[in-house]
Amino acid sequence: MINVQHLTKKYPGGVTAVQDVSFSVGKGEVVGFLGPNGAGKSTTMRILAGYLSPSGGEVQVKGMDVTRKNIEVRQCLGYLPETCPLYTDMRVGEYLRYRADLKGLSRRHRRTGVERAMEQCGLLDVQKRMIGHLSKGFRQRVGIADALVHNPDLLILDEPTIGLDPNQIVQVRKLIRELSESHTLLISSHILSEIEATCDRVVVMNRGQILESASLEELEHRWSPGTSLTLEVKAEASVVDKILRVFPDVKKLEVVQDGEWACAELLFDHGAAPHEQLHEWVLEHKWPLRELHTRRHSLEETFVSMTCEGGEA
Amino acid sequence: MRKFVTLWKREVASYFVSPVAYILATMFLVVMGIGFWFLANVRLLDGATFYDLLRGFYGGVAWFAVLMVIPVLSMRSFAEEKRSGTLEMLLTAPVRDIEVVFSKFLGVFTVYVVMWLPTLAFYPLLQRVAQQPIPIDYGALASAYSGIFLIGSFYLSIGVFCSSLTRNSISSSISSFTLIAILFLAGFLPAVSPIPLIRELTLPFSPLLHMMDYARGVVDTRSVVLYLSSTLLILMCTTRILESRRWRA
Repeated sequence: MINVQHLTKKYPGGVTAVQDVSFSVGKGEVVGFLGPNGAGKSTTMRILAGYLSPSGGEVQVKGMDVTRKNIEVRQCLGYLPETCPLYTDMRVGEYLRYRADLKGLSRRHRRTGVERAMEQCGLLDVQKRMIGHLSKGFRQRVGIADALVHNPDLLILDEPTIGLDPNQIVQVRKLIRELSESHTLLISSHILSEIEATCDRVVVMNRGQILESASLEELEHRWSPGTSLTLEVKAEASVVDKILRVFPDVKKLEVVQDGEWACAELLFDHGAAPHEQLHEWVLEHKWPLRELHTRRHSLEETFVSMTCEGGEA
Repeated sequence: MRKFVTLWKREVASYFVSPVAYILATMFLVVMGIGFWFLANVRLLDGATFYDLLRGFYGGVAWFAVLMVIPVLSMRSFAEEKRSGTLEMLLTAPVRDIEVVFSKFLGVFTVYVVMWLPTLAFYPLLQRVAQQPIPIDYGALASAYSGIFLIGSFYLSIGVFCSSLTRNSISSSISSFTLIAILFLAGFLPAVSPIPLIRELTLPFSPLLHMMDYARGVVDTRSVVLYLSSTLLILMCTTRILESRRWRA
């Protein structure tokens, strides 16, 4: 669907927003574009949507070059810009009909297209309302409905949940999950749980370059420091600390006293966590056990370790 | 073509949902009305003819409106879309840049024409209140309006061009006002320049003289071609400016 080879974008004044970026998105995939603010995500997406031209490299959407077949590329994808700009003086239905006309839908297709998009995005109740009077969440949905109105099979959504309240975020995520069943999606975000909740694959950008392009599991495996265990027993912290130190493969250990309880944080290599031995050890000492659990490293931590350490790598 | 009509309709509609167009049209009609009343009262009583009235009105009073109204009318066309970010939405839809530019121009031109239309009512009104019947030359009237619209289209294209350069409507209107004022004032050169060569060179380009011709009922094809081609040229330049975002951003 999307094929980007050695894409470079330089702005006048010597700013290089994107440098030698290559990635591809296959049909039916849901790919998350991840990176801190200013990493070059929006620039890349704007190039894909045909709004900006690349300074170098090849960008193809559905086998068409974005520079040479600009109009055709714009025709075949749905794009939601980061700020979701809309004409605030128009009504929701009116705006979507206008956009459908711009996207060249015939009158009959316009009717069905607009109705389908409004239904998918839950806009039927507000179709007569002025866009300027809508909440941010509804505006975002109007933006997504606009991207959907000509029924493209590729959607590019730049920060679809930015500035929404938690309820609205849940709604938009649900919508994205529904869309992912029948569309190829490229979603950008600097919020990791966002990507975690919606995407199968992640492309991580930092400072205009791609750091990683992998599935979520691979990414976690490669970048997280290992498996973390939390253990809390009723005992003296110093005693627990002394005993735990002799366990093999412990990479990191931290024990703190919380009242009568000793809380230990252990870090092991992937797959090396000795749950059974720990359990036996607790039974052996007859210590009351409050907690023993494996903590998955969230993408958040992975991301921080990538963009901080990996930034120089 | 349907996309173009859609864009044009949206452009015209955008003027009528904002108060700017109404305020401007009201101010315009008040000033035009006072000007017309003044000319009709003073000049016609002095024994001036209908043609003197046309010359005074379209060759004189109308300039005030053209100079004041056009920069304000055209200032928002691109600047506002840039400011609010909707230009990105517009230009990621499958429409050509040239379609966007021409539809925006045609939209503002339509509003300009609509603003002028009520001034046609001045003549039936004049007939009613005049003591003796005034012979109205419809041909000369048509010629005067074609001049207003031709020169108007050229200046509107300058306004749209200036608007495409900035995201600030006010600076757009100031720069287009300056350009239009320079072109207007240069129209005096054939009369006031001490250098004969300059007088001769600027003579065919004086909008003042052109407007006087149109108001007399003379439609000179040279000036028609001049204004139509200049409008086209400026609009092509605007398209280029719009395209430049791709590499400047």
